Amino acid sequence: MRRLFDTLAEVLEAQARPGELLVATLEAEASEFVRFNHARVRQAGRLERAVARLRLIDGDRQAGCAVTLPGLGTGRDGVAARIAEAVVDLRAAVAASEPDPLLDVNRSPVVSDDDAPDAVFDRAAFVDLVAQAAGDADLVGFCAAGPVARGFCSSAGSRQWYRRDSLAFDWSIHLPDDAGTRRAVKAGWSGPALDAAAVAAAIGRSRADASVLARPVRRLAPGDYRVLLAPRALGDLLEMFGWGGFSARAHRTGQSPLGRLARGEVSMSPLLSVVEDLDAGFAPAFQSDGYPRPRRVPLIERGRLVDTLASPRTAREFGLSSNAASDHESPESLRVAPGTLRADEALARLGTGVSVSNLWYLNWSDRAAGRVTGMTRFASLWVEDGEPVGPIEAMRFDDAVHRVLGDALEALGDTPLRMPSTDTWDSRATGGLEAPSALVSALRFAL
Amino acid sequence: MALAREHSEQSGAALPAPPSPGSRVTVRIVEDDAERLMVRRSIVSPIELSRDRGAMVTVWRRGGVGYCASADLSADGLARAASIADDWAATVERHGVFDGLDLRTLPEAGPLPTSGAAPGEPMPDRPALIALLRAESAAMRIDPRIVSWSAQLRLVRRTQWLWVDGDLRSHESVRIVEPNLEVTAAEGAVSQTRSLGGQYNGFCRQGGFEVIRASGLEGGGERIAREALVLLAAPECPTGARDLLLMPDQMMLQIHESIGHPLELDRILGDERNFAGGSFVSLDMFGRYAYGSPLLDVSFDPGVPGELAGYAADDEGEAARKVWLIRGGILQRPLGGKLSRARSAALGVPLEGTANARAVGWHRPAIDRMANLNVEPGTTPFDGMVASVERGVLMRTNVSWSIDDARNKFQFGCEWGQLIEDGRLTTVVRNPGYRGVSATFWRSLAAVGDAASVEVHGTPFCGKGEPGQVVRVGHASPPCLFRGVDVFGGGS
Repeated sequence: MRRLFDTLAEVLEAQARPGELLVATLEAEASEFVRFNHARVRQAGRLERAVARLRLIDGDRQAGCAVTLPGLGTGRDGVAARIAEAVVDLRAAVAASEPDPLLDVNRSPVVSDDDAPDAVFDRAAFVDLVAQAAGDADLVGFCAAGPVARGFCSSAGSRQWYRRDSLAFDWSIHLPDDAGTRRAVKAGWSGPALDAAAVAAAIGRSRADASVLARPVRRLAPGDYRVLLAPRALGDLLEMFGWGGFSARAHRTGQSPLGRLARGEVSMSPLLSVVEDLDAGFAPAFQSDGYPRPRRVPLIERGRLVDTLASPRTAREFGLSSNAASDHESPESLRVAPGTLRADEALARLGTGVSVSNLWYLNWSDRAAGRVTGMTRFASLWVEDGEPVGPIEAMRFDDAVHRVLGDALEALGDTPLRMPSTDTWDSRATGGLEAPSALVSALRFAL
Repeated sequence: MALAREHSEQSGAALPAPPSPGSRVTVRIVEDDAERLMVRRSIVSPIELSRDRGAMVTVWRRGGVGYCASADLSADGLARAASIADDWAATVERHGVFDGLDLRTLPEAGPLPTSGAAPGEPMPDRPALIALLRAESAAMRIDPRIVSWSAQLRLVRRTQWLWVDGDLRSHESVRIVEPNLEVTAAEGAVSQTRSLGGQYNGFCRQGGFEVIRASGLEGGGERIAREALVLLAAPECPTGARDLLLMPDQMMLQIHESIGHPLELDRILGDERNFAGGSFVSLDMFGRYAYGSPLLDVSFDPGVPGELAGYAADDEGEAARKVWLIRGGILQRPLGGKLSRARSAALGVPLEGTANARAVGWHRPAIDRMANLNVEPGTTPFDGMVASVERGVLMRTNVSWSIDDARNKFQFGCEWGQLIEDGRLTTVVRNPGYRGVSATFWRSLAAVGDAASVEVHGTPFCGKGEPGQVVRVGHASPPCLFRGVDVFGGGS
């Protein structure tokens, strides 16, 4: 991949005419994908793909073209031919364009290198490992393994590089679906390379965790309930803030769900502090305009919104200072500051209520009001006097985030969980978040 | 083979031989050329193009199937991909879910008629299209409370070929048009957004310039801006049980989430339980389960002209045709491609299915997906539906959607609501939403609009699968009336 990136950079320098600037972000992966159902393989294969997102800048005009490169092992001639085709299209597009007053790209050559060791993935050994560890359990899961790379290069000499080899295995253990009860426990393991003993142990733990689900399922009536959100559930809620919550553009155009927080009409709990923190190690330290990103951007401090993510383009449009956010202005490496709630005391502090393992299918039910709806999922348990009683039927919540993470937030856990993104929409994602559990005095269940 | 060679040369592919004795190999090559034009807040955004081409090579052994996707279309590249796919197929054969099946019998040989949607009306050149978007963008700025406004157009040309053991099976080429307008009005703590067919491109079709004309984009800018201002001043939608009249651009979402996904056979077989979820539908329900009221007729119809997901054959080469999924309210068949049907039959439940094994592109394997999934028209004119309601709400244009992992408990929201009182449309209301349970919701269907009221919508953003895939689906429907639904408005 690195050779392909260097070749791409050389080709850009060779093909840019005087007065033109060619820049590209490279997104590349060599991925092994395995899906399991009933602890056996449903679908498996490999993907090799590299996409160069080109931009041709000529004076104050620009156009973009995402072009798939012809294979990860393509030599200079193959890359040059594919880029040349795209550049012809780009020159025509630029000719049809108007001056772009928001054009902002880093014309200074920046060189950085953030690479990690290769890992070996043995297809048969991995499948054998999962089949053996799962035994007779109904394991449903998905593994994505192999290197993922991001790069930014330009005809002006920029070379910014990021590559990680990783294995992410995400699974659930299901009990028999008696009368539509859908009882399951969710788990996951990720690392730079397969640790067979750790994966087997984690599967073993999730099988043990599933045993409590065999107890009778409780159906709750709509209403307010005390809840303990596991780190994954709090993470699911916080991911919604990536949908316009921290976007400077969304705030300036009346489309942010945290608009009321920004205007001071509501506040969140002083227990809550959230930082976009590249030191969490989830994402590259550069963005698609070629600007290095700041290591830390505090976003919520003690319940108050103190900053937003502003891309260079948004900054120009609204006269703001850019903090080199990506164009979509979503966090990529979010950290929630831990609290003091110890894991071994959490259920006792919950007392009677619901321990929520995961949330699912969240959406804004009233974006301007910061009201969010979604479902409980997987091992969400009814707890009485600090003791798990049994699983609940999946419940729909519909509540305001500034209330759930405001007056209702009683405590945050003392041990954050690292959650690298397992998203594979279009390509394997970089990014992730780190969050603790959260004890909430009331979450509004609507259905 | 002459035909295969011709298309092989046309696509740049050099087809691989089956990599192991007795195996079969399929090669699906997909080319996408796309272009996005946008004017946002009166500024013309940079033109965005994309050029994507690659191959999905699949090897079928008796008890296992594996794939390798690569953009290297050279003879060596495709042969290497076939070898990797075969290695995976051999691994799957030892630990696969395909007991009792011979997967080599699934790929069908023999050429299907080369097909492609009608090209549609010629598209104006880029400057003319940008001028159109700029005019609509400018037309939205009718008030200082308009804080965001945009006009955009995405055009896609997709061409794909499928070869089975070196012989061409199918070849299709379509052009896709996705126009949209979106405007946000804000005042104080209230913000309202109105769009052409939904903020996530609910108006999207195959064809040419006629799609843009049919979308209402021309002249639509000022209309939706005025509607956003009306919503800004409107009261919240009331809370309580009311009759609910859903317009086609919300029926699109209702069909999609609470009929389409639960009927996907791979979900019913449990493949998606770790991610997209399972289904409240089980294998024993087909042929007998009352999914909705007797007024409910739902078809899988790849042949509706212009609908977004029309095709002659699915991505594994099964010829597509119109079939009934629900007839007179009774569940007939799932959305299940050949492989899922074979697995169901191996479990002792043979089912009729649909040609719906689909993939987002060359880089993903096919799974069971929706395509064109439509509610067939009834007999009630729109005015007749309104007149039959004493206390209800009309809702149009989806804005919020959420449903549980079995596709049962849902909550949806719309951009636009209007009360129906004593048989008349009255007050406009904002933030209209409703909740229900799929298993009972469709049984409250009380009237289905007539053929004149049918509209063709869809979405380019149907997500599912591991690895994830976002595919295009089409949903045509008339307005539909439901009795006694829990509705509500906004606010925290």
